[in-house]
Formats: sequence, structure tokens, C-alpha cells
Amino acid sequence: MCAMRITGYADKFGVNPGKTIKFHVNCDGPKKYNCQIVKMIHGDTNPRGPGLIEENIDANCNGEYNGRPQTIYSGSYGYVEDNSHLQVESFTMQCWIWPTTPKTHPKYWRHGAQGLMTKWSNGKGYGLFINEEGCLELRINGTSITTGAPIRDHAWNFVAATFDAVTGEAKLYHEPQIQYALDPDIPPVTKIISDKIEHTAGVPFAVAAYAGGADSSPQAQASRPAGMVMAGHYNGKIDSPRLCRSALSREEIETMKLGAQPGLTERRHCGPTGPLSEAMVGTWDFSDGINTRRGTDHGPYLYHLDIINCPTRAMTGHNFSGHNFDWKHAEKEYGAIHFHDDDIDDARWDVDFEWNVPEGTSSKFYAAKLTTDEGDEDYVTFWVVPEVGKEQSKIAFMVPTISYMAYANEHLANNAGGAELLVYRVPIMQDQNMFLSEHREYGGSIYDTHTDGSGLCLSSRLRPILSIRPKYDHFLMQAPWQYPADLHLIYWLEEMGYEYDCIMDEDTNYDGLARLENYNVIITGSHPEHNSGPQLDALHNYTQQGGRLMYMGADAWYWIHSYHPAYEDLGRGVITEMRRCESGIRTWRADPGEYYHQGTGELGGMWRYRGRYLHSVAGTGMSSEGFDISSYYSRTYESNDPRISWAFDGIDYDEKIGNFGLVGGGAAGTELDIVDTMLGSPPHTLVGATSAGRHTEAYLLVMEDYGFSQQGIDGTQHPRVRSDIAFHETPNGGGCFAFSSIAFCGSLPWNNGKNNISTLVGNVLNRFMQDGPLPDAPKDAYIHRGRADYDPAMNKARK
Amino acid sequence: MISIPKKGTPERNRLIATHKECIESMKGVPGCTIMKCETPGDTTVVSGGFQDDPLLNKVLIRMRTAMPGNFGGKLVVICTKVDKEWRIGRLAGVRGVPPTFVNDKVYDNEQDPQHDIFLMRLDELDEEDGFPEHFNEGWKRRDDHWTVT
Repeated sequence: MCAMRITGYADKFGVNPGKTIKFHVNCDGPKKYNCQIVKMIHGDTNPRGPGLIEENIDANCNGEYNGRPQTIYSGSYGYVEDNSHLQVESFTMQCWIWPTTPKTHPKYWRHGAQGLMTKWSNGKGYGLFINEEGCLELRINGTSITTGAPIRDHAWNFVAATFDAVTGEAKLYHEPQIQYALDPDIPPVTKIISDKIEHTAGVPFAVAAYAGGADSSPQAQASRPAGMVMAGHYNGKIDSPRLCRSALSREEIETMKLGAQPGLTERRHCGPTGPLSEAMVGTWDFSDGINTRRGTDHGPYLYHLDIINCPTRAMTGHNFSGHNFDWKHAEKEYGAIHFHDDDIDDARWDVDFEWNVPEGTSSKFYAAKLTTDEGDEDYVTFWVVPEVGKEQSKIAFMVPTISYMAYANEHLANNAGGAELLVYRVPIMQDQNMFLSEHREYGGSIYDTHTDGSGLCLSSRLRPILSIRPKYDHFLMQAPWQYPADLHLIYWLEEMGYEYDCIMDEDTNYDGLARLENYNVIITGSHPEHNSGPQLDALHNYTQQGGRLMYMGADAWYWIHSYHPAYEDLGRGVITEMRRCESGIRTWRADPGEYYHQGTGELGGMWRYRGRYLHSVAGTGMSSEGFDISSYYSRTYESNDPRISWAFDGIDYDEKIGNFGLVGGGAAGTELDIVDTMLGSPPHTLVGATSAGRHTEAYLLVMEDYGFSQQGIDGTQHPRVRSDIAFHETPNGGGCFAFSSIAFCGSLPWNNGKNNISTLVGNVLNRFMQDGPLPDAPKDAYIHRGRADYDPAMNKARK
Repeated sequence: MISIPKKGTPERNRLIATHKECIESMKGVPGCTIMKCETPGDTTVVSGGFQDDPLLNKVLIRMRTAMPGNFGGKLVVICTKVDKEWRIGRLAGVRGVPPTFVNDKVYDNEQDPQHDIFLMRLDELDEEDGFPEHFNEGWKRRDDHWTVT
């Protein structure tokens, strides 16, 4: 069917002038491809707008390159390089498992046996598996033993296997943690195996996979260990794996569950008992080093596992008691890692070419446009970002890269049946969606569930992200979303002749206020929904110190994100983490006890539930969403207040504002924000225009704003289903202007920027970009205001 | 659960006619809802459609609730040439398996496939669903033809 034969990514989102950016390209088929660096101006091909606009840029990397395939080896696992201690003659393997897909559909992308603890490859070695029928299986070379009992999914099971090389006795145990009334017993299975274990040099010991085999192809260097392709990726949790070099009795296995014990004066061995310490090869404790890329071995040899492709950690273990949700305070109850066959932390592709970005290069949106003579095409998008202190403009566009990563390679139209209920029509898929639907190794978005159905809470930028592309319409609106939608705004800035810089979310996260304070105004993207704490701190510090913020969209400052500290050696903001906790718009919901981030250890979920209401950042916060069509705004009487009336110069009081646009056909649409002084909007916030009453039944109130499942929450009924265009002053001559709709920027390019949305935004930007503080508010505006008690006179007049 | 009106009934014909009228009016809108634009392609004033016809609304919701693998694969629109060509496909319902095209028909706009899918679903869906006589074990395991996230 459709296929994208060329895909790529860069080693960073943002590159400083004078520095180098590297590009990694998969060209699977065509012998040659061409690279042309382009400046991106407009990415929406809708014939009612200006169309695709890009400018060729002279670059030393432009030219023709040889194509070659590069592969993503997704699926998480841990491994220890081969060594003599792991080449056991007898053994005991044991662990707790909570499998999510013990049995898969025959057409499932990775149907087959799943490795739990293995040092096995191509019929040689030993390993504990879940076989194709979903039963526990022990393999010794080419011989296997199974209990024949299907393992219950989404439930804890204790599993163990022993092999005595002297007697040849192999024994397999499968003990479900919960025994329901009508569950048959699963007795241990014994078999005599006369073979000695055959060890293949170089085959690693693996947890949650097995070694598929050595591969000499260049692309297999991207696997880990390099050149060894892993197979049998397991879906589910594993807790407390242990490996011993003798066949333990059942009683000894029970004792070994205690694992390694720290040495003291009175306890001078590493095991639960002296004899067991002598049998111990490795005893891994996944509660140790939750924020690392290591599976810590507390055994005598310190055979720490290299954890590949960033599985989900800080997961509740088999012994979770429910008393403490923070893994930092109940570590021993968080000994589980949830592995997924579609986890991906880094594609690890070879570099194909690099661009030495000349000093003086303008800070803008760019892409490496990759094409072939056969019509293949991909755009590897990136930004040139000035170093702090070398700003090029008074205006900065804050590229919402965390939000781009959160939406990276989403599969909702393909996998989520509910997608249609959300958009009130049949979703439309594009080439990118079709490619991803069969290339699950490219990983999903934080909106998706993994291939095993569990929530996806980690997203890497070191992989091709096909949603950060021009010419890409998202199923949510049949229109651009995120990156291509933000290009609507970029087109307008260019068309109107503004000078602007581009700065990244990650820059604000790592540099704080320094990244912002040299600009007169910060402009956001259309949907900066996902944010780290340091970024919000920086924005607050900026606006409190006189900075100006233009919030160009809606549903922002919503979810708590953090960058995984274990990946900082690869650059800024490589992996972002988010947990979908007790409320908010959630395409999946975290399980009890799994609310805290594995990277930073902070509580995840909505900023609202950490005491940081979204409305506090720019004055408005999300109230509702709907994805069928958009509507328009009308001015309110407050728009005549001299504190805000300047923004409406050139717009008649009765004018329909934004009843046109490239996202839903209007400026007010998709996700909508409102002023709420009870939820963090400053009490002096003015609402200049609103779209109240004009939305369809497809627009529904956000669930965090009501406590019951109830009627009356749609756009034809609920007064909070609206978008408010709002302004408030901040101290020291600063201010925030919130346009409060994701569709808003889609109206800017209409009629080549000659429209009343353009007039409104231009008025605001022209005022906000000036040097020095904003004009002071009239003296009579300085009055005491409550939060709930905002208009006592009118309240008294009501009957 | 609401019944799907039988073939040839006035109710079914009404739903089809209303749906078609709405879809025609939505051509040119970067988005779509089953309502009628007063001016074609312009969402300034919209009315009618699912908001004024409770039966149409409920039939559409029944159609939209299906899981990706239900009824031989949930129907979906696939854009094959950006802003130029669209076709109808079916989701596989199995992760890692891409959608497949249902036929060779190529559309020159993104709204018409919505109506054809509506017609196909009227034929495909069981007239009745969701009552005790439709119980099966899947109801206990989120496989009840009602989507979940």
C-alpha cells in the first residue's frame, strides 16, 4: 500500500549558529537521494490558504547522497554481556511476572515466544520464556518444557526453573499470586534432559528478550549489543529476577526471593543465607536506579543490566501495598520494570550528513528536505536557535517541542476506536499514519497505548517523528496540528515582516529565565500543552519581571513533563516523560501507584493537581474541546475598556472576528480556553472577545471541571464551552494576551494575512514588542478585587 | 441501544438525505460535522443535521463506537494524495497491521467518503444491539462493540 521509503531525524531540534547538526537517514529502496536545506514558512497545502512555502538555503550539506536502509530496533530489555559466570552448567532462574500479552494474535507484529530471562539463541543455551501458546516454557538448547497452563494476563505470577547438570533434572514452576476458586492447580513440571547446556560465545544474558542472532549488516550496529539483534521482546512487568548456578530446592527458591542482603559485621555474605550466596550469580533489584539506564545487580559480581529502549519504571511490584504512591519513599514496592516490544529511546542510526550552520544564520524554522528521483520525500525538521546573549530579534517564538514530542508518531486514528467519537466524523489517515501503522518500531506518542495496551508515557526525539512535518493534516481536525499548525503563525510573521527568533522548550527548561529575558515578547505555539516545571517557572519569572507573553492557542500548561536525566549525555531534552493521572483529558489512565515520574521522581499528571492552575500562566485555561468545526468571536463590552481597547483598533464592535480559517473554518475551535479567576486567572483580567454559545454539541466541557457524569456539558448548552480572548497586565510593565483557541492561528494566513484576526494579533504584537514597560493602566483600574466575589453590585441585583 | 432503521423505511431515507445534504455543504471546510452550512464551505452559520435529528445523532454514535477490529474492520478514510485524492479503507484491529482499501473508488474531496461510509455502515451494522439477548463473554472484557480508551 502506501510506504514512506525515506525517513530521517536530526541529532537535535535546535542548533546554534556556528555549530553542527547531524542528520540520520533511512532510504530503503532508492539508490540515491537529494538533500536541500529549506527555511519553512508555511506547511499547509489547503487550497484556500497560501499553500506550501519554503525557501532553499545555501548549505554545505546540500547535494546527492547514497541511499541505504537503516532499521529501528525497538523493544525494551536488559542485557549483560556474555561472561563465564553466566555460562552456567546448572541453574535456577526465578522472577515475578505481570504479562500483558502472554498470547498474541497470529498477525500481531511480534507474534511468537517472549523471553523472560534468557541466555539462549538459535537452539543453544538456557532460558525462561512465555511460549506462543501463552504458557511458561523452559528451554535448554533445543529441548523445551512447558507447564501447559496459560498464564493469566495482567496478574502477578511467580515463575522459576531449575536444571541440575549432574542428574539432568529440569523443573519448572508457575505459581499465580492470586488463586481464584475455579483455577486448576499448576503442578511443577519435571523432565530429565541429558544434554549439557551449549553456550554460544557472545550471546548476552537478557531480561525481557532473547538474542535472535548476530547480524553483520551495517544497520545491525544500531542494535544493542551492537551487531546482535534481539528477538522475543516481552510485554509486561518483571520483578526481582535472580540467577543461581545450581538447581535450588523449592524451599531455597522461596528463600532466594529475599535476594541479596547488604553485608554487615554479622552478615558477611551477599545472600539470604551463606550457601545461597555461593549459588548466586545475579540478583537484580529494579527498585535501585529507577532514574537510570541500569538494572542494578546486588549480587556478588555486580552484573548490572544495560537497560535498552527506556521501558517504563517506577512501576508497582508484586508486593505493592498501596500505602505510598511515591516510589522514592517505598522503593522496595517498586521493583518492577514494565517492558514493551515497541519501546524506543534512540534509533541509533549512522550519520548520513551534517550541516555546519554558519555564524549569522537567521533563527527560524528549517528542514532538511530529502527527495528522490522516484518521488519519495521527507522533511527532517529543525530550528536554528541563537545562543543566550546573542539574540537576533525582540520577538521570540517558543517552539513547543515538548508538545511535539508528546504527539510524536501518534496512532490514534488507527488504534483508538474512540477517535471517531472524539471528532464526530470518520478520521482521515495520511501516508505518515499508514507507514506508522505497520512500522510500530518507530514508537508511538504519549497519546497512544503501547502495542500491549498499556499507557505510553515516554517519548524520544532521537527517531524519525513523522508528525513534525509540513503537508501533514491531523485526524483530529482534518487540518494541521502542532508543527504544521504553528507554521500558520510563522507564515503570518514572515508576511507581516516581523523579525523573530525561535527558541525551544528545552532551552527554556535548561536555561530558565536567561533564555527569555532578553526578548520583549514571547509568542507561544498553537497548542503548548505539555510543559516542564522549570519552563513554567521561567515563564512566570519573565512575565512578573515585565516580560510580555502572547499565548496563541489553547489547552496549554496542562500536563507535567520532565526530561529523563539519564539521557542528558545525548543532548538536551532527549526523552520526555508524562503520566496521565487522576484527571484531565486522558487517552489512557495510569494505574494506582504509578503517578510519579521515573526520571525526576516528581508527581506527574496535571499541573492543576500540583497546585499550578493552567490559567495562572497566561490568563486563560482549558474549558472544553471539540473537533468537528470551528466558530468565531464577538467583542464584549469589556473590549471598550482603554486597558484593552487598543487591541481592537480597526475592528468594529459588531464585527464577526475570525469566521474563516484553515482549522475548522473559524478562529474559535478545537480546544478552547476561558478566564476563570477561581482557577488562577488574575482578577483584573479583561475578556475582550468570546465565542460563547456558538459551538456545536461536539464541544464538551473538560472532565476536571465537573464531578458527576451528567448532561448539559456541550457547546449548545454549557456557558463554559467557549473561548475567551483575554488580557491582563503583569508587574513592571509586562502583560499576557491570551487568544485561547487552538484553531486561532489557522485564521492568520486567510486572505494572505489581510483579515481581522491578523489586525488583532498585529495590534497586540506591535504594542508588546516595544522596548520599555507597557503603558500604565488608568489610575481608576487600581482597585481591590476578589476571586469569586468579582462583581458584588450585579450579584446583589440578581434575584 | 437505538435501532438502525430498516432499508427502505422513511426514517432511513431521511437520515441518508440529511447526511448527504450536510456533507455537500461541508465541502471546502477544513473539518467536518454532520450539520448544514448556511453558505456552503463556511461555518459561520450551521444548523440542522445531528443536532436537530435525534435519530441521526444516535445512529451516528452507534456507528462511531465500534472498536477498530469490529465488523470486519472499522471503516476509515485514507488520503492517498495530499489535498487531491482519498479512498476508503478498513482498520485491521491488530497492532502492526495496516489498514486495507475496501475498493478502487477514488474521491476528489475529503467529505464524500464520509457519506459513503455512512451508507456502508447502515448496511453492515446489526439492526439491534446492546440488549440482554446480545450478551456474550466479550461484554466482560471490553469487547462489547463499545469503544474504550
